[in-house]
Amino acid sequence: MSRFFIAKDLRVRIAGAVIALALLTIIVGLAYHQLLRHRFFLEQSESNRIRVQPVIPKRGLIYDRNMKVIADNRLSFTVSIVPFERVKNVTIPKLSELLAMDSLSIEKRARANFVSRYIPSPIKRGLGIDIISVLEERGRYYPGISYSAESVRNYPKDISAGTFVGYVGEVSAEEIESESESDYRMGSLVGKKGIEKTYDRVLRGLEGTEFIEVSAKGQIVGAYKDKHEIPAVPGSDLVLTIDKDLQQFIHTSFDSVRCCGAVVAMDPNTGGLLGLASFPDFDPNIFSGVILPEIWDSIISDTNHPLLNRPLAGLYPPGSTTKIITAGAALELGLVTDNYLLKPCFGGMQFGNRYFRCWDAGGHGKLNTYNAIEQSCDVYFYQLGQLMGVDRWAEYAEKCGFGLKTGMDVPDEKAGIVPNSKYYNELYGAGKWSRYLVLNLAIGQGEFLITPLQLAQFYCGLATDGVVYRPHLLKEIVYPDGAILRSEPVVSFNLPFSRETIRTLNESLGLVVQGEHGTARGLRNNEYNISGKTGTAQNPHGEDHSWFAAFAPSESPRIVVVALVENAGHGSEVAAPLVGKIIRRYLTRDSTALAVYNN
Amino acid sequence: MSLEYRHIDWRLVGAALLLSVIGIILIYSAQFDAATGSSLDFYLKQIIWLAIALFIFAVLIHLPLRVIDFLSYLIYATGLGLLFLVLFIGQAKYGAARWFSVGPINVSPSDIAKLALLVALSRFLAYTKLPPQSKRRIFISAALAAIPVLLILRQPDLGTSLVFVALLFSLWLWSGLSPLYMILIVSPLVSLLAAFHWITWTVFLVLLISFILILKPGFLFSFITVVANLGFGIITPFFWNRLADYQKLRILTFLDPGRDPRGAGYQIIQSKIALGSGGILGKGYLGGSQSQLKFLPERHTDFIFSVLGEEFGFIGAMVVVIVFAFIFYRGVVIASRCRSRFASNLAFGAVTILFFQFLVNIGMTLGLMPVTGLPLPFLSYGGTSLVMCWFLIGLLVLADYYWTEY
Repeated sequence: MSRFFIAKDLRVRIAGAVIALALLTIIVGLAYHQLLRHRFFLEQSESNRIRVQPVIPKRGLIYDRNMKVIADNRLSFTVSIVPFERVKNVTIPKLSELLAMDSLSIEKRARANFVSRYIPSPIKRGLGIDIISVLEERGRYYPGISYSAESVRNYPKDISAGTFVGYVGEVSAEEIESESESDYRMGSLVGKKGIEKTYDRVLRGLEGTEFIEVSAKGQIVGAYKDKHEIPAVPGSDLVLTIDKDLQQFIHTSFDSVRCCGAVVAMDPNTGGLLGLASFPDFDPNIFSGVILPEIWDSIISDTNHPLLNRPLAGLYPPGSTTKIITAGAALELGLVTDNYLLKPCFGGMQFGNRYFRCWDAGGHGKLNTYNAIEQSCDVYFYQLGQLMGVDRWAEYAEKCGFGLKTGMDVPDEKAGIVPNSKYYNELYGAGKWSRYLVLNLAIGQGEFLITPLQLAQFYCGLATDGVVYRPHLLKEIVYPDGAILRSEPVVSFNLPFSRETIRTLNESLGLVVQGEHGTARGLRNNEYNISGKTGTAQNPHGEDHSWFAAFAPSESPRIVVVALVENAGHGSEVAAPLVGKIIRRYLTRDSTALAVYNN
Repeated sequence: MSLEYRHIDWRLVGAALLLSVIGIILIYSAQFDAATGSSLDFYLKQIIWLAIALFIFAVLIHLPLRVIDFLSYLIYATGLGLLFLVLFIGQAKYGAARWFSVGPINVSPSDIAKLALLVALSRFLAYTKLPPQSKRRIFISAALAAIPVLLILRQPDLGTSLVFVALLFSLWLWSGLSPLYMILIVSPLVSLLAAFHWITWTVFLVLLISFILILKPGFLFSFITVVANLGFGIITPFFWNRLADYQKLRILTFLDPGRDPRGAGYQIIQSKIALGSGGILGKGYLGGSQSQLKFLPERHTDFIFSVLGEEFGFIGAMVVVIVFAFIFYRGVVIASRCRSRFASNLAFGAVTILFFQFLVNIGMTLGLMPVTGLPLPFLSYGGTSLVMCWFLIGLLVLADYYWTEY
């Protein structure tokens, strides 16, 4: 009991000792600052100023699956205004003269990037050493102006990666608002699109702070001698699933074909993207730092929309490539069996008061599932569509991943449209639409809109007997201390088809290339088998879009490739050969082919 | 019964008045603009506040101490009510809700809450029949303090809530609880900090267990203490490592705002330069107004001591420190002389509040303590703070005047 009770005398003594100790500490502290180090602090107060300099950490690098560089950094200089050192009618005119920028836009930038009175607000980035040396030598004539070396994003020219890497730019006021948990401040460089945006927090690291001593002449003396700096934490590196060689090959192969389109190459066994390209694309380097208005205007006014991320956000009718959904659904629903022959195709068929044409006016005769897919007969699929009706078709299309975002780790993905009766009721009014609209959907036309990525995801599912892994770009995060976080494949969903149905569908897809009448028989070769489907999507605005979706080798698929070429006509003529080249590159590169291509 | 003025501790009142006047003089200088030759009207407002504070002080010392004793839980409830209200209708500054705006004046409920906790704790600890180390007594007094602490942490204001914790611990001590016992109570917090490195944590645990074995505080208490320590030590690093870097930074900045590169870290540097450049005699009145401190937004409030040190040097700073030391000395003497436990607790608690804010504020200007935003009693600009300080002096005067009463 008495162990925990102390007498009044002792309490007073404890209180007295605590107070005395505190007073002593304060007096010693005062004496140390005011007597011992007086001279140092006096000098500081008279001649020198302290600037707060944010220390921007190195942004993490981005590598492809073979550790080839996709994004790195280069050194560049930034000139800023320090608000509290600013001299009226001197700072801005001098800076305007130095940077050849008008005073008004400097004032605007200074206000937009204001953080606090003693933190420099960046005015212009990406400056050369010539301007910096002026400031270094004649700093006193430029009061309130500071400069710093900054690492700026650099995208090597030997890969076109803007589609998925995105770019880095100055943070906007809205982004600071919305990212309440972040340490963004005005003037920060942040990921704006693609991987740079999704993994911005991982890539950027943590900003540090150093205190810099500036002499009365405006020259930087060095770090302030009183230790106060907060070190920056470097960003982590990313390893992507992308195959840089294949990505580049896709670009060189496509450019020779047409202006616009998209290519998606995926590993069906993981969902990892091997290549992802949008045409036309843009050079992400132009966005690093501050983009010039002229360049921005020229990109925005380009009628080919280079900033549209076609594989993820471009919406297209899929054409015959999605006849597989119709066939699979019909088999699952028991409307047909694989060898059941439907009514013959005579180049078209009458439904109600309208005649629906097949693409081949010569007609295909009586067909079973295999031959119908091989020859892509429209009449066969019209009949299936009519048998199942729009809602059953839509249910299967959604279960195959259409009309929903894939959840890929790149922002701005679109979901597409899978029409059903509810959709048509809203569009045309209840009962005011023809029940034959489903015929168009069954052959991948009409209001049905998809992204190339969704199609690639669907074909991945076919290639793996029904398992669909979530499409992704991230393979590994490499932390600054060397620790590695591997991104494990995630099963997104399973195709709504039995193994038997999938076997039938895949056999048919094989016939598209191997079969006597196959629409892509030009891709037949002796080394490996390809399974795929051509598509020719009617486009109300011009020439048909050319599609081809395929996986190879057919027996144990290692790659799925989807190509879409806008306004290029038949799938078999443009998209199929392009996909064939990409598959060949990927499957044969490891042997002698690489040397051949490089020469 | 009329008050006999000659029995009032006029030296204590004089010391407080001296500090208040020095405060106004410094506030004038802190907001002085050499270009216009005038100062912003903060000093005028502070003069008005001093008049209000002195009026409240004068009214207070005419009340018998019994009235405060009688009203203590009502005062406590009112203080909590205001704290609760400010979360909803308070004025925000730097993202924290801390003030009520009543016309042109700002009222800070946390200062009122300090007085509220002081009277409530003083009363509870004075009249309870429970022995100092009884678990119920510790629990109830801790709960009295915990409510305002949690409400203020919601604002969020770590510095101010620490005043309440300091008050609790000092009154525990003053009512006889051994500091050794208090060490056991706070040990889980130490465990939390020690757990960031396994060696320090192991050493800490060994020390703690031997401490318990020597003190033998009872099985249940020992058991809970050890479990709490183990729990904090094991769980904390687990949670910490799961946090993202920026989340960790947020917590660190909350604990030590000096880490925030957007301001506080810079303020400490400037404050030290101002103090240090003052030397022995200082740069003279208004002589420091063109210096580094010009760039400190808080120079008339949190960093008023830096202005003092710059303009009046070591001598000036020492004068203020000595006047404070005198107040603390008188306060402890009054507290130890009182026969009434309630009055004694009130006096000791009053000294604690003044002392804690004094220590943390000056420690901050010297860069020895984190930037917490605690004002310097009597000197810093701020009406409610000044009124509260004078209220505390009033309580000391009352405790002294009625020291013979039970």
